[in-house]
Amino acid sequence: MVAVDHVSFSVQRGESFALLGPNGAGKTTIVKMLLDFTPPTAGTLTINGISSKQAASRASVGYLAENCRIPPHLTGWRYLLRCAELLNIRNDEAVEQCRRIVEKIGMQGREHAEASTYSKGMLQRFGLGAALVGNPQLLILDEPTAGLDPIGIREIRQILEELKNQGTTIFLNSHWLSEVEKICDHAAIIHRGRLLVKDKISSLVREGDTLEDVFIRYVKG
Amino acid sequence: MSKSRAAVLNIAKYTMADVARQKSFLVILAVSVLFVFLARGCYHGNYMVNGRELEAAAVVGMVSKMTFQVIAALAMMVAALLSMRVFKRDRDEGMQACIFSKPITRRQYLFGKVFGLWLLSSFLMFALHAAVFVTVLLELHAAVPSYLGASLLCTVNLLFAVISVCFFSLMMPDVAAFLLSMGIGVTSFLMDGVFAISYSPMARAMMKGWGIPEELTGWKIVYYLWPKIFGSQRFAAMFIHGERPGCDEMYPFLNIVIWCVAAGALLLWRFRKEEIS
Repeated sequence: MVAVDHVSFSVQRGESFALLGPNGAGKTTIVKMLLDFTPPTAGTLTINGISSKQAASRASVGYLAENCRIPPHLTGWRYLLRCAELLNIRNDEAVEQCRRIVEKIGMQGREHAEASTYSKGMLQRFGLGAALVGNPQLLILDEPTAGLDPIGIREIRQILEELKNQGTTIFLNSHWLSEVEKICDHAAIIHRGRLLVKDKISSLVREGDTLEDVFIRYVKG
Repeated sequence: MSKSRAAVLNIAKYTMADVARQKSFLVILAVSVLFVFLARGCYHGNYMVNGRELEAAAVVGMVSKMTFQVIAALAMMVAALLSMRVFKRDRDEGMQACIFSKPITRRQYLFGKVFGLWLLSSFLMFALHAAVFVTVLLELHAAVPSYLGASLLCTVNLLFAVISVCFFSLMMPDVAAFLLSMGIGVTSFLMDGVFAISYSPMARAMMKGWGIPEELTGWKIVYYLWPKIFGSQRFAAMFIHGERPGCDEMYPFLNIVIWCVAAGALLLWRFRKEEIS
């Protein structure tokens, strides 16, 4: 089965980019290939000019998986520290960075509880926290608001807007089109593994339309 | 410290921490401690054969050697048990996705995993051997330092168990991977037995009577190439009482070292194709 076929696009530094598509369109496969989780049968993917097959391409990448999981016996704090250690961040700097991240994701007071006690939304927040460790230049987020309540969604959006203003490149996979419209400035729509369109959201959305209308128009042909 | 080495050590550290807190590991630890505690009793008794009391030193030597072999075999089983779910656990708990989204290569991840499991199982085996060493020292006031050296030599078997189970677990259910690795060990033990028996005068006479040629070349090739787990253990045990191993006794140890390298290469090749989720 071909999951992604002849898809070619680039995301510029500092862009907030959304990859849109219905379920099974190949969005997650693209993300997995970008991180070398799945090797592509043909074609190339690069991050900062480095092939995604090389680990160095992930040196300044933060990744939040759809349905983020954390080992149940670890506390959120230990999980963040592990992420910092894996990036070779010095201990005192790692502690300071993790403390700031816990504050940013709004999990103060819960960071020393075991992950087995966390709700789905809390896991998602710590997952986002883990993606922020090391101040990545590129943030790849696969359905970051999955499982979050409306307050959580708004908080995540605020964090992403803040990161966007700081110049972080955001690559977002999401079904939440109203949020995408607020966060991203560029979008691509893929369907059945093929790229249908890639452009500025402001160019895609005609007057009186929403991104949802555009999405439906393209996907339904 | 280089970034690559730091990544391997970090992953090894996480592996040991995650495995050591598993209930199965704690149960294994408790059973092992109980075994050593019970083995203590062997050093208290008087042994009689045909109404004559055996010399204590001879008995202690034999018991120590047997305990050494049993502990080494148990440790191999423990290493296989600890290794069989290591990838599945990392995948299910999201650690693989977390690790591979960082600049960590698959080779570093595998080295870290194997190193962590090997270190933990080696530590367990060494601790049990050390407990026997201390028991002999306290009960009989006799120190056998080579006992601990022999224990270290046996760790090569644990490395083979860890690598083989990890490799098989990528292709089959975890329990099947464990059983297959144990099967290799048991076959090695049986082959050594059959090989030794086949060289007895009685077996040779029987083979002659049945018309079986004495030089079974194909069988010998399989015998020599098969992972010589038991032979390697026997090689290590020779050092306990200062026996000098010859080339024949050294071969099983080299055989296992070569198997570790080959199985490691296979594991790396197979894991490169693995999809991370």
